[in-house]
Amino acid sequence: MILTIAIHGAPYSSQASATALRFARAALSAGHSVHRVFFYHDGVHAASALAVPPQDEPSPQPDWVELARHHGIELAVCIAAALKRGVVNEQERERYELPGSSAHPSFAIVGLGQLIEAVGCSDRFVTFAA
Amino acid sequence: MMHKRILFLLRQPPYATSHALEALETALVAGVFDQQVSVLFRDEGVWQLVTGQDGAALDCRTVGRVVQALPEYDVSAIYVCARSLAARQLSLADLVLPAAPLDPAEQAALLAAQDAVVND
Repeated sequence: MILTIAIHGAPYSSQASATALRFARAALSAGHSVHRVFFYHDGVHAASALAVPPQDEPSPQPDWVELARHHGIELAVCIAAALKRGVVNEQERERYELPGSSAHPSFAIVGLGQLIEAVGCSDRFVTFAA
Repeated sequence: MMHKRILFLLRQPPYATSHALEALETALVAGVFDQQVSVLFRDEGVWQLVTGQDGAALDCRTVGRVVQALPEYDVSAIYVCARSLAARQLSLADLVLPAAPLDPAEQAALLAAQDAVVND
C-alpha cells in the first residue's frame, strides 16, 4: 500500500512527529511504501536546521533524514506554513532578502498542491494532528 | 494525478488556532486541483460557518469569508453535523452559506464513500 503522512504538531511541543516516525518505520517494515511526508501547521518546525535539543532529549530530525534517504521518501514542508514560522531555505532567503535561512537541505519547501498530489497518488493518507 | 474523493473534516474553532484557516486553504487548493472535494464541519468547527464574524477585531482574516469562497473554488459539497449545530443552539439560518445537515449515520456514510479524509 502507498501511504502519505501529514504531520501537524511541532517537535518538542507535540508527540506528532515522533509517533509519525514510528508509524512510518512500522509501515515500511511491513512492506508498505511512503510516497511523501508532508509537514504542515506547526509541524514545519521539524525542518529547522537551527534547533538545538538538549542532549538527553531525542531529536526526530536526524531520524527523518535517514529514513527518507534510505527509502527514497520526500520530506515536504508547506511553503506558506513554513515562511510565516521562520522556516526558510536559501532560495526563499534570497527572494525575501532575509538575514539567514533555517531549513535543513533534506526538506523540500513546496506548495500545498504537493499535498493534494500526494493524496491523489496514495492509497492512504494518515494525519498526525498537533 | 488521479482524481479522488477527498473529504475535509473541520472540527477546530475558527480563531483559537491557525488550524481552521490552514485546513480551509488546503480545501481551496484541492478544489483548484480538480479533485472531488467535500467539506464536513462538526464539533467546534461549526463556528467557522457562523455569520457576523469579523476577524479585524482580532487582527486576522475573517474565517467565514474563506468558507464563503469554497464554492468559487469548485467546492460545493458542504456539510454540517446537525447535532453539533443543535448542541450550540445554532441553526442553518445562522450560517454564511448553505450547508447540508447530516446525522451521525449520514456522516459515517459520507466518510465511507471517500478515497481520503483530511483532518484539520
